[in-house]
Amino acid sequence: MSEKNNLSSTEHIKMKSDGLRGTLKESLKDQITGAIREDDRALVKFHGMYQQDDRDRRAERSEKKLEWLYSFMIRLRIPGGFITSEQWEALHHVAGAYTTGVIKVTTRQTIQLHGILKSNVKPTIKTFNTAKLDSISACGDVNRNVICAAHPKFSAVHEEIFGYAKKLSQLGLPKTKAYYEVWLDEKSLTDKKEEEDPLYQDRYLPRKFKIGIAIPPNNDVDVFANDCGLVAILENDKLVGFNIAAGGGMGATHGNASTYPRLGTVLGFVSGEEKVLKAVYEMITVQRDFGNRSDRKLSRLKYTLDNMGVEAFKAELEKRCGFLLEPERPYQFTGRTDFYGWHKNHEGKWYYTAFVENGRVLDDEQQALKTAFLEIAQLHKTNFRFTCNQNVIIADVNNEDKPEIDAILRKYRIIDHTSNASPLRKESIACVAFNTCPLALAEAQRVLPGLISKMEPLLDKYGLQDDNISVRMTGCPNGCSRPYAAEIAFIGTAYGYYNLQIGGNRTGTRLNKLYKESLNEEGIIQELDGLFKIYSGKRNEGETFGDFAKRVKWVEY
Amino acid sequence: MLAEHRLKAFQDLITQSSREELIWMNGFIAGLVTSEANGTGAPEEMKAAPRVSKISILFGTETGNSKKVATEFATQAKKRGINVKLSSIDQYRITDLVKEEYVFLVISTQGDGEPPVTAKKFYDHIHQQPLGLDKMKFSVLALGDSSYPMFCKAGEDVDCQLNKLGAKRIVPLQKCDTEYAEEAATWFSQVMKTLSDGGSSNTATAPAKKPKGKKNYTGVILTNLNLNDRGSNKQTHHIEITVDEDVQYEPGDSIGLIPHNRKELVENILTITGVDPDTAIEFRKERYTIAEALTRKINIIHLPERVVKQYASVIHQEIPDTRIDLIDLLRIYPVKDAAQFEQVIPILEPIAPRLYSVSSSPEAHSGEVHITVARDRFSINGETKYGLCSDFLSQLEPDSTIDFYVHKNTQFKLPAANKDVIMIGPGTGIAPFRSFLAERDATGADGRNWLFFGDQCFVTDFLYQTEIQNWADTGVLTNVHLAFSRDQQSKIYVQHRMLEYAAELWQWINEGAYVYVCGSRTPMSADVENALIQIAQHHGGKSATEAFSFVENLKEEGRYLLDVY
Repeated sequence: MSEKNNLSSTEHIKMKSDGLRGTLKESLKDQITGAIREDDRALVKFHGMYQQDDRDRRAERSEKKLEWLYSFMIRLRIPGGFITSEQWEALHHVAGAYTTGVIKVTTRQTIQLHGILKSNVKPTIKTFNTAKLDSISACGDVNRNVICAAHPKFSAVHEEIFGYAKKLSQLGLPKTKAYYEVWLDEKSLTDKKEEEDPLYQDRYLPRKFKIGIAIPPNNDVDVFANDCGLVAILENDKLVGFNIAAGGGMGATHGNASTYPRLGTVLGFVSGEEKVLKAVYEMITVQRDFGNRSDRKLSRLKYTLDNMGVEAFKAELEKRCGFLLEPERPYQFTGRTDFYGWHKNHEGKWYYTAFVENGRVLDDEQQALKTAFLEIAQLHKTNFRFTCNQNVIIADVNNEDKPEIDAILRKYRIIDHTSNASPLRKESIACVAFNTCPLALAEAQRVLPGLISKMEPLLDKYGLQDDNISVRMTGCPNGCSRPYAAEIAFIGTAYGYYNLQIGGNRTGTRLNKLYKESLNEEGIIQELDGLFKIYSGKRNEGETFGDFAKRVKWVEY
Repeated sequence: MLAEHRLKAFQDLITQSSREELIWMNGFIAGLVTSEANGTGAPEEMKAAPRVSKISILFGTETGNSKKVATEFATQAKKRGINVKLSSIDQYRITDLVKEEYVFLVISTQGDGEPPVTAKKFYDHIHQQPLGLDKMKFSVLALGDSSYPMFCKAGEDVDCQLNKLGAKRIVPLQKCDTEYAEEAATWFSQVMKTLSDGGSSNTATAPAKKPKGKKNYTGVILTNLNLNDRGSNKQTHHIEITVDEDVQYEPGDSIGLIPHNRKELVENILTITGVDPDTAIEFRKERYTIAEALTRKINIIHLPERVVKQYASVIHQEIPDTRIDLIDLLRIYPVKDAAQFEQVIPILEPIAPRLYSVSSSPEAHSGEVHITVARDRFSINGETKYGLCSDFLSQLEPDSTIDFYVHKNTQFKLPAANKDVIMIGPGTGIAPFRSFLAERDATGADGRNWLFFGDQCFVTDFLYQTEIQNWADTGVLTNVHLAFSRDQQSKIYVQHRMLEYAAELWQWINEGAYVYVCGSRTPMSADVENALIQIAQHHGGKSATEAFSFVENLKEEGRYLLDVY
């Protein structure tokens, strides 16, 4: 158990927060600032929000005797990344009324909206609530949005597995009604017993907790990047259970050797809904009780697991479950990519996967994604799904509706754009970074598209244009775009500078390693030019860039 | 001896007068003859008790200076046993005028020769009604600012009109500049002397003193920044001026600034008239080159009709009565040549100064004067135009110099340090309150402070936000309430916030708080006043009439003060 006497400040804030209420109501009433009070900034995360400010505008605003331009990012809880047309419409209108206007699909299969002023937070949440959407636990030291393989075509059991995502999300919800009181003006409960929370108690988790469910052979969810990873095991197209993995996590801190990215370790196999839910639940309680609560940099499950040792961790988990995990079952991952364009699922329904660069749904000079999606949503004939590669799937399209949807996708150049984007670009992921992320050291989503444009001619030059090498960029080492699991990663170290990491594999089961430190864009292009040249000349048949980098020992494993 | 019509008037007067009146007239004329013979010079200290026992002192005030002077004189007169009726002109029952015997008016002048808003009704009444004021004896003390072309015009008009209506001027009109104290005192001594002489007409007293000049300062622009953020409809400049010498001002005072004309406009005038920019000319007794005078001294925009009339006579053309820019006048009714344009120069008027409330505090910002200037933007026939002075100020670069003078606002002053203050100042109305708060902060005044501020949008238009936050954090501000009109569907203004916090506001006022309002006169100050009346009704349990007089009383007590424009 963690030492009580050395708790981090966040632990104290949580415990005295009265069920995550803190002084949020008072903070919202403070007219003179667009910010909320210091302690409430930690609590608001549990309600799915971050207080941010426009870092580009700090100096100018200060000179004008104005405070920083504070706003809130609201992230929704959308287990498995599925919403209806009606919900998309609501999202579209909220984005137009209260936010920057960009609807951002995240790397964890949900939506976040940026730039919401304090005074607009309640109206935003109220609109979401009317559309049966919420942002509870989308951030904070709790179980986050549960991700699940997005592509509906894999098997007939997809719906069943998607059901697990919803059930696990429900399992990991805090019992407090604070969200409804603070944001939706509901009356507080007279009987606080209803809020008693055996899972989270009054201290919640030491840190965020992520659950992902993959359905082999695709690992689009990057299952081993999650604290708890479930790999569906199918036999004769029936779900028989899950391999359960623990200890995945991408974050590290520059200059802190005791922090590291880690892929999940498979502990065993579990079958039956009751047992699966129990195993996940108890993994959360082990982390709750054994996780580090004094140093937030060392509090993710991966450190708990390594501190205890995998066997001890597994034993504790089995003890709490009251049953033993079965031996791991075999499975095979072949890739992580999305299936772009039109496809038919097992039911004979169509779905279209649109390429959304960095998950930013907006209208720009190339295509009008936002308008197209709205028009499609307004037909009320389809559903929307989000992928962990930040793309959008127009799902459940009946055969007779396909031409109508297709016409809209053509009209707004979605089909052109999705077909014409290079494999490299489609495999790229960047985090938000500047101008809103307070952790960013370097740019990410604002510069990666340009950098890709400079890499494309290099690939053309060496005949590699059809290679879907995975490239990921983050503005800091915390790893929101899962960079350590990419074949090529750029990890921000300072403004304009990135560590170049290579050697990860294409299925997300091997991490990359540091190749060159702190390169600027020119340095990156120069290095890659050299590497691509060698790779194109000396690779084996079908050998990926990551595997080649490992074989020729550009990085040591 | 008398011309026929005068003789008739004299005889009419005698036949229509009572015996007592005849006796009085006898004494009056005797007194007149004596004083003329003695050639009254500087007024003497009065010793004798006044023979007139009842007078009215009326004041028409904008900034409170006229009220202050009038009140002071009323007090002095009362001490001498005179029954004084002191009243603001807007509260004076206008029908009483015909019954008045002794009336003394203190009246200021606004803008282009306008009377103060409070005196407008009175001013119009005496100019429009065929009143017979034969019983009345009067004198006018006119306050003004000699930097304006129509210096003390309202006072002059009232003086002239009362005379026309048959009232007798017993002390000549006295005009006072911004430093009015001395001239005002002189005028009042003369009034008192005349009254002690039995109210004899004293038109032959020494000519009114020429007003003293005022102290001008030259400052250097330290900072000039637009406080509004990108995306705002507003442009509000915070301008810091540093001055080598010690500027004598107090929180609540204003400074007067003379804007320069726009360079392109001056160049156009020079081109169209063909005049050599370096031609030396004299304008209002000082020498300049013509370019310099046109840039810094001469008003060339929106010329008043009186100037247009004179222009017409210089160039010998018929021009309809209208207000017009000099450049347009020159285009439509050109001067013959450069020489004729030089003849036009003397008829042009000087650029009037503009007053800006000082937003700095002598205690907190020593050696500096700050102002808060909204760049006035408006549209004429679809063309965007800017107000001359605010545009000029908004363009001032750091290190450029600027001339200004201090315009005292004796009424709009902080109360004693231990008194509570409620400040209502939306938009640039925040200016004097930034000064108040900085001053109270710097001096450690222990009275509580409550600020109501408003503008269009919280994100872009919260003027001095970080300073206000600091005052709130350190407890200098007990309460801050904000009204941003365009942040929601329905417009919210400061008066709405006042009503929202009515109970507490009422408590503060009851405990002796001073209420200050600064900003636009209409509709803001009227809405704020209505809010106060409502609060007095709902929280003070007063009837509508009682609530109204409660607020009037606050004004009388000097606890409800306005600096509105």
